[in-house]
Amino acid sequence: MPTFTINGISVDVPEGTTVLEAAKTVGIEIPHYCYHPKLSIAGNCRMCLVEVEKFPKLQIACNTFVTDGMVVKSNTEKVRQAVTGVLEFLLIHHPIDCPICDQAGECGLQIYYMKYGLHKSRYAFEDKVHKKKVQDIGGQIILDAERCILCSRCIRFLQEVTGTSELEFFQRGDHSEISLFPGRPLDNHYTGNLADICPVGALTSKDFRFKCRVWFLRGAKSICPGCANGCNVEAHFKENILYRLVPRQNDEVNQTWMCDPGRLEYKKANEGRLLIPAVREHGGLKAEAWEAALSAVAFRLWETVEKNGSESIAVIASPAFSNEELYLTRKLADEVLRTPNLGFSPRTSGNGFSDDFLIKADKNPNTQGAQLLGISEKKFEDIVRRISDGKVKGLLVFGNEIADFSEEKTGELLAGVPFVVQIGTNEGSVFRAAHAILPSASFVERGGTFTNHAGRVQRSWMGFPPRGNARSGIEIITGLANRLGAGWKFAGEASVFRAIAKSEASFAGMSYESLGEQGQMAGGKG
Amino acid sequence: MELVLTAHFGNDRYRHADTYEELGGYAALRKAISMPKEEIVAEVKKANLRGRGGAGFPAGVKWGFLPKDLSRPRILVINADEGEPGTFKDRLIMTRGPHLLIEGIVITCYALTTHVCYIYVRGEFVREAEIVQEAIDEAYAKGYLGRNILGSGFDLDVTVHLGAGAYICGEETSLINSLEGKRGWPRVKPPFPASVGAFGQPTIVNNVETIADVPWIVTHGGEKFASLGVERDGGTRLICVSGPVKKPGVFELPVGTSLRSIIYEHAGGLKDGKTLKAVIPGGSSTPVLRADEIDVAFDFESLQKIGTMAGSAGVIVIPEGTCMVRALSVLMNFYAHESCGQCTPCREGCGWMAKVLHRIENGEGKDGDVELILDVCDNMMGRTICPLADAAVMPAQSFIWKFREEFDRHIRDKKCPYGSRF
Amino acid sequence: MSLAFSKETRAKHERLLTRYPNREAAILPTLYLAQREFGHLSDEAILYVADLLGFTPARIDGVATFYTMYNKKPVGKYHLQVCRNLSCSLMGAEHLIERVSEKLGVQPGETTADGRFTLSTVECLGSCGTAPVMQVNDDYYENLSEESIDAILDRLR
Repeated sequence: MPTFTINGISVDVPEGTTVLEAAKTVGIEIPHYCYHPKLSIAGNCRMCLVEVEKFPKLQIACNTFVTDGMVVKSNTEKVRQAVTGVLEFLLIHHPIDCPICDQAGECGLQIYYMKYGLHKSRYAFEDKVHKKKVQDIGGQIILDAERCILCSRCIRFLQEVTGTSELEFFQRGDHSEISLFPGRPLDNHYTGNLADICPVGALTSKDFRFKCRVWFLRGAKSICPGCANGCNVEAHFKENILYRLVPRQNDEVNQTWMCDPGRLEYKKANEGRLLIPAVREHGGLKAEAWEAALSAVAFRLWETVEKNGSESIAVIASPAFSNEELYLTRKLADEVLRTPNLGFSPRTSGNGFSDDFLIKADKNPNTQGAQLLGISEKKFEDIVRRISDGKVKGLLVFGNEIADFSEEKTGELLAGVPFVVQIGTNEGSVFRAAHAILPSASFVERGGTFTNHAGRVQRSWMGFPPRGNARSGIEIITGLANRLGAGWKFAGEASVFRAIAKSEASFAGMSYESLGEQGQMAGGKG
Repeated sequence: MELVLTAHFGNDRYRHADTYEELGGYAALRKAISMPKEEIVAEVKKANLRGRGGAGFPAGVKWGFLPKDLSRPRILVINADEGEPGTFKDRLIMTRGPHLLIEGIVITCYALTTHVCYIYVRGEFVREAEIVQEAIDEAYAKGYLGRNILGSGFDLDVTVHLGAGAYICGEETSLINSLEGKRGWPRVKPPFPASVGAFGQPTIVNNVETIADVPWIVTHGGEKFASLGVERDGGTRLICVSGPVKKPGVFELPVGTSLRSIIYEHAGGLKDGKTLKAVIPGGSSTPVLRADEIDVAFDFESLQKIGTMAGSAGVIVIPEGTCMVRALSVLMNFYAHESCGQCTPCREGCGWMAKVLHRIENGEGKDGDVELILDVCDNMMGRTICPLADAAVMPAQSFIWKFREEFDRHIRDKKCPYGSRF
Repeated sequence: MSLAFSKETRAKHERLLTRYPNREAAILPTLYLAQREFGHLSDEAILYVADLLGFTPARIDGVATFYTMYNKKPVGKYHLQVCRNLSCSLMGAEHLIERVSEKLGVQPGETTADGRFTLSTVECLGSCGTAPVMQVNDDYYENLSEESIDAILDRLR
């Protein structure tokens, strides 16, 4: 473990650590553009120049490996002048697009200019090299070659991570330009990452373009609801509208990446939401207050049990709901409704596409959670048969669709059930067939945990309280249970998770603290 | 005077193996394969043979950077990318004495247990590459290349690889990238080519002339080679003289010959009654000397002491009546054109300097433009992946420092006093 | 009509591949073969080389556009490449470039209407001792003067 000194601070680091990474560990940020912890070292931007004792020239911190006794300084006048010099070079051709550039507010040039620049341009405007702007290069990306600082992060990403190499350098010298080959746009499922890694506004998201200034956005750490991979993400929102999902680093799950379809998952929290509890009466929907809605549903369920027995009730759980919500679903079915008819299906409509990187065929974020919490997939088939046989008189459906059933099939199936209750987030075929609708919180409107395909239990945080008059799944299920005499005293997701940790073997010993921001493997899965 | 390389360059047939053999060629190789490998390397070290490509790094020391264990096969790459303006000596060796190069390659590869050699020839040297290839074919036919060379059990394959028009590919890591089929971008170091070079293998890159010197060193010994030159800088050098002199061309001279005698004695002095204004001693990337600075020995240390470099021994003679601003503008256009574009200071700085100079030469320079150029130089020097930025800075700084009044005059008078012409 | 190497060129290419440890290293020489075969490296030619060697067209085109000797656009039958670097300029290259330009009626970078000559200015050709120098296709013409350049152009017309 070599020990070296940076700006007078002694640091002990593992062999093979670069000065740049080592500095990070003691909170010293060495400015850089081309360096990225998950990509090969390029060393071309020259922003990370530092003084290293015994070296006559400044060295780049990203490619200088710490040796025992090395003395490094990143805060001297010499270094500052060097960084300012590099910045000046980067800015001579850079168009000052800030007023119309999405990157503003999270732009590497802006950030370091405020720290190291603050100079006026000495470059003659007529000498400026112009390049092509606003190019739709496929995937989720728009390229503005004029803003590009040629750091090559995008090229390295497409070489080393996706292996598709659609972007390349063309020409030479200050006419160098990053571009595609004509007619060969970006062709992979991870193009969105390019906008994340581009330090400036050269590669930006088509979807996010011109929608919101980033300084208005707040973030909540979450888990992507798009598939069973459970990529760690951050949801960005203004008030209660989501604008984008960006990846969060988790080296065990998704490093610093996420897939393109996953990035668009935020839309369903904004559009087509169920926001008001309602019951269907005389063919029309009538809004209800929660008290009334919960009481009405509870009553009807109780009545059904009285008339036809517990076996006439069925519960279809959803692998899109959190561990906490699934645990309470099981508890409701087992202990309160006392029905054996509890099942779930991970089959979704959607192409089931998967690859050998992040995308999983199972488009539900919590199939493993449902399984580990003892909810049966086999029972689902059984329930469907019972419904078709007319044996189900009361049905609780969690979620917005039933497995991969079409609108028609769902309608047909549910037509024969006298009382269908939906606890879900969005309009869909279940909504159109349900008699009672209890709107639940979207993935960013309540905290909870999810278990990914590999058995990693990961936390998700609430960004803002449920929109409209929706409520968290825990509140809804508890509300029903207690009106049916359960007497549950759960005070939020943490308390539910404590109960899970106590009673479920796979979750034994876990707590929200132990899960932290990177999650933990469920028992027997690690 | 001892001629290491050019003794038979006047003989048209010297480029053919038969004549080369008749005149003593490949005897050094026969001697080398009977010597211990370490001894060959030791002789080259004793010879004080400094790299003839421009950097002047001692060849024997460079060879010593190869890892000791032989588990990873080595590669020798010959840098025949001769692109430094003012330099044209390797072309001479390739066309008049290609077997000198080949013999040097075989000896070197034998000494360094290397079985693969690529000769990277600049793309413009199509005819030269053909001559070298012909010589290589002859060498294969005579058993100097290929399997079991001269019964020694040593195998070696040599391939000629053409570049495609990029000065930067003369830089060894850029050359390696170009050899590998990539854009000619230099590499960050570490790792160094001797440990991770071409195709990930330990690689030594040497200039044509450097390797061509090896057979003589083997025949006559390193000490003798060293004695031809000066302390720490041995042998002879092929010195190129261009510009308006009576006898432009390549002169093989002992290291340490005076620059004055190179210009006035060997190259015959300036022609058409012209007088000397300035000299660039080692190729365009070396700081310019005024006419009163030419009493200096042409060797690495002596030239370094007066603030310039021996470089690639490309002596460019600049006569009185030459506009130094225009001359510098020509050079800056060169560096801007050749900058590979990889790293920020060089990519932007070269282009910026070229544009400002262009304006000054055209009478559109502004007050502060010269200071701006010098500032840009400061922000480029020593800040880049490879020395091309330094190579652009050194002429820019030296021209301005030594001929400042010309630049000021252009700006003050808003025109070129020499009529915007050479 | 898609481009393809002739049988002979294909054979040459196969032999070429044996000199390198991987296909990537064959990119530069393959581009030369393609340029000789197809005249210039059009997008089709780039696609052909990319497919032949197994790389994305962007990768191949990125290499082709880096080096000056790969012509992405067609050049005339005779590509007149006149050096404009320092030694040649000191020996009168500027005048020669102007002279050729006037004689042929094209500026550097342009091709004559009959497609016979393309005039380019290039950087140091490595023959400064015989400045001024010009490269025409594969051959060097050295020690140029107004007379000799006139004679060369006449011969090539």
